Amino acid sequence: MSDEIRAASYDALVIGGGIAGGEAALDLANNGYKVLLVEKDLSIGGKMILLSKVFPTLDCAACITTPKVSEISRHPGITVFTGAEVTSIEKKGEREFETAVTKRPRYVVEEDCTACQLCEEVCPVVVHDEYQYRLVGRKAAFIPFSIASPRVAAIDIENCTLCGACEKACPPKCIDFTQETEKYIIKTGTVIVATGFKLFDPLKIPRYGYGVYKNVLTSMEMERQLAPTRPFNTILRPGDGKMPDRIAYVLCTGSRDDTIGNPVCSQICCMYSLKQAQLLMGALPMADVTIYYINIRSFGKGFEEFYEQAKGMGISFVKGKVGKITETETGNLILRYEDINENRVMEEEHDMVVLAVGVLPNTDPLSFFRNGELKADQFSFVDQAEVLSSPARTSVKGVFVAGTASGPMDIPDSILSAGAASSEAISYLKQ
Amino acid sequence: MASINTEYGRDLRKYGGFDFNACYNCGTCTAVCSLSTEEDSFPREMVRFSVLGMEDDIKSSLKPWLCYYCGECTTHCPQTANPGELMMSLRRWLTSVYDWTGLSGLLYRFLPATVTAMILAAAAVIAFSASRDFNLPEIMKAGHYFEMIAIGTVLAVIFIPNLIRMWWFTMLKPGIKVPAANYFKAAADLFIHMFTQKRARDCEDNNFRWLEHFLLVIGYLALLFTTVVLDWFSSSSLFVIILGYLVSAIVFIVTIDFVSGRIRKKKEVSRFSHASDWMFVVWLVLMGLSAFAVRLFIDLGWLENNLWLYLLHLTVLVQWALIIVPFGKWTHFLYRSFAMYFHSVKSQVK
Repeated sequence: MSDEIRAASYDALVIGGGIAGGEAALDLANNGYKVLLVEKDLSIGGKMILLSKVFPTLDCAACITTPKVSEISRHPGITVFTGAEVTSIEKKGEREFETAVTKRPRYVVEEDCTACQLCEEVCPVVVHDEYQYRLVGRKAAFIPFSIASPRVAAIDIENCTLCGACEKACPPKCIDFTQETEKYIIKTGTVIVATGFKLFDPLKIPRYGYGVYKNVLTSMEMERQLAPTRPFNTILRPGDGKMPDRIAYVLCTGSRDDTIGNPVCSQICCMYSLKQAQLLMGALPMADVTIYYINIRSFGKGFEEFYEQAKGMGISFVKGKVGKITETETGNLILRYEDINENRVMEEEHDMVVLAVGVLPNTDPLSFFRNGELKADQFSFVDQAEVLSSPARTSVKGVFVAGTASGPMDIPDSILSAGAASSEAISYLKQ
Repeated sequence: MASINTEYGRDLRKYGGFDFNACYNCGTCTAVCSLSTEEDSFPREMVRFSVLGMEDDIKSSLKPWLCYYCGECTTHCPQTANPGELMMSLRRWLTSVYDWTGLSGLLYRFLPATVTAMILAAAAVIAFSASRDFNLPEIMKAGHYFEMIAIGTVLAVIFIPNLIRMWWFTMLKPGIKVPAANYFKAAADLFIHMFTQKRARDCEDNNFRWLEHFLLVIGYLALLFTTVVLDWFSSSSLFVIILGYLVSAIVFIVTIDFVSGRIRKKKEVSRFSHASDWMFVVWLVLMGLSAFAVRLFIDLGWLENNLWLYLLHLTVLVQWALIIVPFGKWTHFLYRSFAMYFHSVKSQVK
């Protein structure tokens, strides 16, 4: 069965089921094209579906994403592969792309699962929950997260002990350990690359003590603590479960920094930090929030007002990048920095530190084409061949790029970029 | 109100400064520096002054001397602006500012001037020896006198006026009012820092560099004492002879390690070498090695037939005493100790 290669053809292939890929797929399908959306993860929705709120409007991120995600899953013109990855793409001619896709087994028959979660209840294995950014645990038989799409269980075979408890507990008997990897050759007329970005791993800056000091978090971990589907239902510091009183944000962690190889601005960290700080003021009215920054880049529509609003709410801003962090016996953290306005090196104690980690390229798409036809820019994002006149075009005619695959950008820009990619793709298909 | 002077930055590059214009004022350098304190925060302030060309503020500052160059700031600088090497360049520039003759600045900025001076010194040694018909005992006697006269002259003509200038720039001109008694109270600090460089032990890198440097200073001063006061080359005291061998060996062994560090460029501190840095360490190696060899040849009875060796030693000595000591990197020994002293005098006000 595993040797069998299935063939299928669609008008368009969209790689990546985040907000950009999802939007591009919807645009194409609404114009009557048949679309295959390939998502590496167990659910579509990308990073946005896991966020708390969006800047600068403070709208609920999930409330924007979930209707979109449901529309994608139910659209008759869109086929979604989750747990699937593109291994190679070959351009046979104009409007003739052949893509090899590998779909990992979920060990659950998607159509039959009712998301009753009985398998989760009986599963004896507990591991870190990657969808909650390791703040809490999950089972090896699990539904990725409450608003996942498809909302279907999966077996984490790496950690599964094959005890069979879930199989016995499953009412529709949809758990199937005989599933194998499926291979497909997909023929399409066009390809949209929407593979998104990677977050900077702060272990690369040992001075900040991430991974060693438990109360040093990444912004994505804080995002989960603030989200409507949050694990603790309040803000707790991971070291001892205390509600923090003095929270610090360290901006430019892994951005604008030659020493870790990312000299450019990530474009979103200032704003998401301002957003989180405001949400924290709401969640913990007595807490002090301090943002340590080099420059606050509030360049977009409504951003400067958002910054002023943050200042008005009493969030402290200190100009100076944090140099090092040390831990006290109580688990508090001492930040050493130079206050640029005072010209003095200072130390300040906080009980929780959030590292505003930056945006790094996802280099996966660069290896899709065997001979490197899909070119990268100098920072390893997908190169935009004509960035001013046709921003969605790549170095391969008929392959378009959407969202953060081409560089750091925020959610509205990602959606705009998806619109550009889908309309360019339609023009290409109609030529 | 200071005005911006972009010329200054261009001038500073000749002293070894790098891309300090790349600085975007994040303060990482100051925050990671283990010597930086709330009262004395550096190096970012110095980077800022350099970019803006605020010469007077740099001239009156002791901060460049408070840095012992572990290189942490350069390692972590997100803009690769190399603040560590900038601090080093500022020390070279300050050396030239303190020097009333102006020769320091010329030699630092213009390598051919240094080379010419070195050649002239060598030629003078050869010419002098020729005028004495290459008579070894006479030349050796003259060499010994030269050492004593050179030390006295350099001290009286160069160092004392320059230290007074440094005092004027950093203490009097900025209008720092301290009771005279402070100068006595802080006197111990002058000698502690001069002989131990104990502040460098607080640097982020390991203590081995400090130990090497400490051994070198002690070895060098002991070698000076042994040759000048105890007259090592003519001495027949076994103690003096062994002491001389020991201290000259310390000097060249430690400095050979310094030279190889600058070649390997593994540590931040030895990655960038200005011509003056090379000259300083290489001449120290030559001094230690040639002194060691001269005494060895005396003990083995070979020196009469190998006059060239003593002439080599004397040439190195003359170049060292007339060029590198008064106008080159050697001066950091004095200026750094006095900077620590003045700093201590100032802090006793509070």
